[in-house]
Amino acid sequence: MSSKEQSSATNLTPLSPAVFHILLSLGEGERHGYALKREISLRTGGRLKLGPGVLYGSINKMLELGLIEESDDRPDPHLDDERRRYYRITAYGRKVAQAEAARMRDLVQLAAARFGVPKHA
Amino acid sequence: MHEEPASLRLYRFFLKLYPASFRENYAELLEREFRDELRESPGTAALCMLWIRLIADLAISVPLQLAREIAQDAKHTIRLWRRRLWQAAFAILVLAIGIGASTGVFSVVNALLLGSLPFQDPERLVYLSNFFAPHDSVAQFHAWRRQSSYLNDTALFEPFDVNLGGEGEWRRAHIVQVSSNFFSMLGTQPVLGRGFTPGDDVDGTGVGSPGRNAIAVIGYGLWQALFGGDPKALGATVRIDGTPLTVVGIAPPGFDYPGKAVLWKPAAFSPGNNGWEVVARLKPGIILPQARQAFAAEADRLWPDRTPLQKIRSPSRITELRDQLAGPTKNASLVLLASVGLILLIACTNVANLLLARTADRTAELSIRSALGASRARLSQQLLTECVLLALAASIAGVFVAFWTASIAAKIQPAPIASQTYSILDGRVLTFAIGISVLSGLLFGVLPSLYAGRVHAFGTRGSNDNRGARLVRETLVVAQVMLAVVLLTSSLSVGRAFIHLMHINRGFVPKDVLTVNVSLQGTTHQSGARSLAYFEEALGRVRRLPGVQSASATEFLPLYATGGIGGVFAVDRKPGRASSAVIPVFSDYFRTMGGRIVAGREFTAAEVQNNARVAIVNERFAEQFGSPADALGHQVFREPRKIIGVVRGMDYRSDGVDAGPRQVFIPSITPGGFFSTFVARVDGRAEERLAMIRDAIQSVDPQVPVFGVKTMEQRLNDALARPQFYRTAVSFFAGFALLLAMIGVYGVVSYTVAQRTHEMGVRMALGTTPARLRVRLLCEGLFTIGAGAVAGVVGAVLSGKFLESLVEGAKPANAATYVGIIFSIALIAAVGIWAATRPLARLDITDVLRTLH
Repeated sequence: MSSKEQSSATNLTPLSPAVFHILLSLGEGERHGYALKREISLRTGGRLKLGPGVLYGSINKMLELGLIEESDDRPDPHLDDERRRYYRITAYGRKVAQAEAARMRDLVQLAAARFGVPKHA
Repeated sequence: MHEEPASLRLYRFFLKLYPASFRENYAELLEREFRDELRESPGTAALCMLWIRLIADLAISVPLQLAREIAQDAKHTIRLWRRRLWQAAFAILVLAIGIGASTGVFSVVNALLLGSLPFQDPERLVYLSNFFAPHDSVAQFHAWRRQSSYLNDTALFEPFDVNLGGEGEWRRAHIVQVSSNFFSMLGTQPVLGRGFTPGDDVDGTGVGSPGRNAIAVIGYGLWQALFGGDPKALGATVRIDGTPLTVVGIAPPGFDYPGKAVLWKPAAFSPGNNGWEVVARLKPGIILPQARQAFAAEADRLWPDRTPLQKIRSPSRITELRDQLAGPTKNASLVLLASVGLILLIACTNVANLLLARTADRTAELSIRSALGASRARLSQQLLTECVLLALAASIAGVFVAFWTASIAAKIQPAPIASQTYSILDGRVLTFAIGISVLSGLLFGVLPSLYAGRVHAFGTRGSNDNRGARLVRETLVVAQVMLAVVLLTSSLSVGRAFIHLMHINRGFVPKDVLTVNVSLQGTTHQSGARSLAYFEEALGRVRRLPGVQSASATEFLPLYATGGIGGVFAVDRKPGRASSAVIPVFSDYFRTMGGRIVAGREFTAAEVQNNARVAIVNERFAEQFGSPADALGHQVFREPRKIIGVVRGMDYRSDGVDAGPRQVFIPSITPGGFFSTFVARVDGRAEERLAMIRDAIQSVDPQVPVFGVKTMEQRLNDALARPQFYRTAVSFFAGFALLLAMIGVYGVVSYTVAQRTHEMGVRMALGTTPARLRVRLLCEGLFTIGAGAVAGVVGAVLSGKFLESLVEGAKPANAATYVGIIFSIALIAAVGIWAATRPLARLDITDVLRTLH
């Protein structure tokens, strides 16, 4: 990846929680919208419940930015529903997610140095 | 589950709130999600929770998506405008003028007919015109007003101008004497002190007779000016024409009824005073038609001997006070609003045409986008965004036009009451402005967006234009050309009449003449001998000033005759035949005014001082003796005065139509019976010298109010303000109509070109050259213009009569004018058509033919 792409990846950060969580989920494999939503809800202990409008609004924006793309493959044919759309992360999407993770890591390190990190938050 | 379909239907409805592109891509998925969620939310409580979450989701995501898509569309629109900059500029200009002028005129209608009046229940107030309520004495008037079967209460008032002074300087002021129930009838409470109470009005003559009624309510503005808003003004003394009045109340701010009054005093009733005006409040439950009947019966009862002719000439009328205040402005402003509205409508159709032509021109672009998956809704949304942006830009520009229109209206036809100012910053006016902006945006936006829908439906093949639609567009152009011809003709007629008015010989030379009004009423110079001394002293001081060539004074100044003395006077001790006006003047008057002495000479200072039995007559008066020289030596009046000079008559009216009545000038020993005007001729820089002359006159006695400090040219301009306004308005509308017509022609021709590209391509393939095609279209276009022009000439001839009644001296246009106008319109139209057909010159036949299949 060129340094130009790298800098544009950094430019997109900080990502909204919804976008970052979607990238996190897609990093594991292809998902459709509903699966994404459930996974994010589970991962956050129900604290981030994406409504359909916010979910597809984010997906729409991520498609335009080239972070994700629609997938033609159906990962699990007998479970697949024709009407669902599957999404997968792009290389650029991975780069952006990495940039966001790095940003968060720096932030966490700074906070830890300043306040210490409790064992159970 | 029965909730499911209902909930789903509701959700589907909400999905429509998303912008087109998002909806097309995701509506189905969103609906799916919703079904899944619904399945997982059994029971009413869970369903409620689901809906709460969904509404929050919609509230966040709908505005977000809308903003995204509108921003995209707006960016696209601005790119398009940049490409066709002048088209966008024209469209904005035309709409801005339409929206702005409508809003400006509406602000007048709003102030006069819709805004609040500073009275209680103003809709119950009526004005009784040509009606003399019994008013010989206080007792008679109040007895009469109490017995009315249809009026709850009636008040009388009589306005007049006085010299008004408080503790300090003197000024000229408009005041009014009123019956004691005036304020209570209107339901207006003074902000400080009291109004008038029964017994404050008295029997007596004269306005300023001291007595029980020597009290006054002063206006809020006067209170600020004289007393700086000090509550101690109550009990203070103001003098009107020298008579002291005690201030008992302060009127609320904005209250200056009737006619910009600054002071109200209780009436003095006397038999034979016919200056009273009548305002009344209807009894509860009585409506205007009922009151009208009762009023007619009462008028007949009070004056049983009125002839039918008298009834027709000066009919007694009862009108709503608001209508009476608005007067002729009511109808004028409504007609104007309708006309401006019509013009806005034409502007909208023109812009629609222009956009339509552009949309047709963009068929390829729209088709490609359509092929790439943009739906009809998406394309319509794009076009609608373009229109909304256009309307928005036009509205912002329109605000300036509106302010300008309202300020002109305020100058030409000021509102009758201070609280009725023509304001754009008013809730109703702003609502109106926003309303018409949105409406016009929709109006010119709907056609192009419908067209986009058609492109989508039929693909790139421009469907054959519907003949009916084309006819409608061409008829519109005919109507616009007609309007342009009528207005251009009118503007030329009015313009010529105005130039005639400016250059007419008025019997005096206004250039370099300064004028200053004074009034001696209520001052120590009021009596005859003292008044002469005052005038001589003031004139002496003025004549000694540097740059003053001559100075004089007159009781009645041309263009500013607020009163008059006249009658049928004896000539050579025999009864005269026709009436004449009498104008008292000082020595040097004709030299100062630049009047022309045709025979004899003007008065000497000695003749004025000794009240010599001499007179000067105008040419019209002298006609009865033969030539002007023959008039010298004859005598006028019963106590005869010898005619020593004949002058060219002076024009006392501004319209310059009447050659002027017979005029007799006499040397005045007491100019200033009402008030008088000093005139001075200076050698140039008249306006700079006004202050110097004013100061010189004021220095004689600061107690004498000095007002109307103006050059004669300023007075002439003031007098001609209305014809000047008509000229400006008509020229403006003519120019605007021409612009509209041109845009109309351009739009229609461009559209035709875009529509008939294939036909043109085929014609070119068959051997026609682009130039020949363009000439053909030019001829077709000019034919439409010709039809409009013929209709326009008919309209102009018909409207000529109306114009003559509106602006005196406006003559109907002649044949040469019509030919000139039609030729100019045809020429401008030809340029427009040629520009619109430019795409034909660049047409590639192979491209066109390829698109056929």
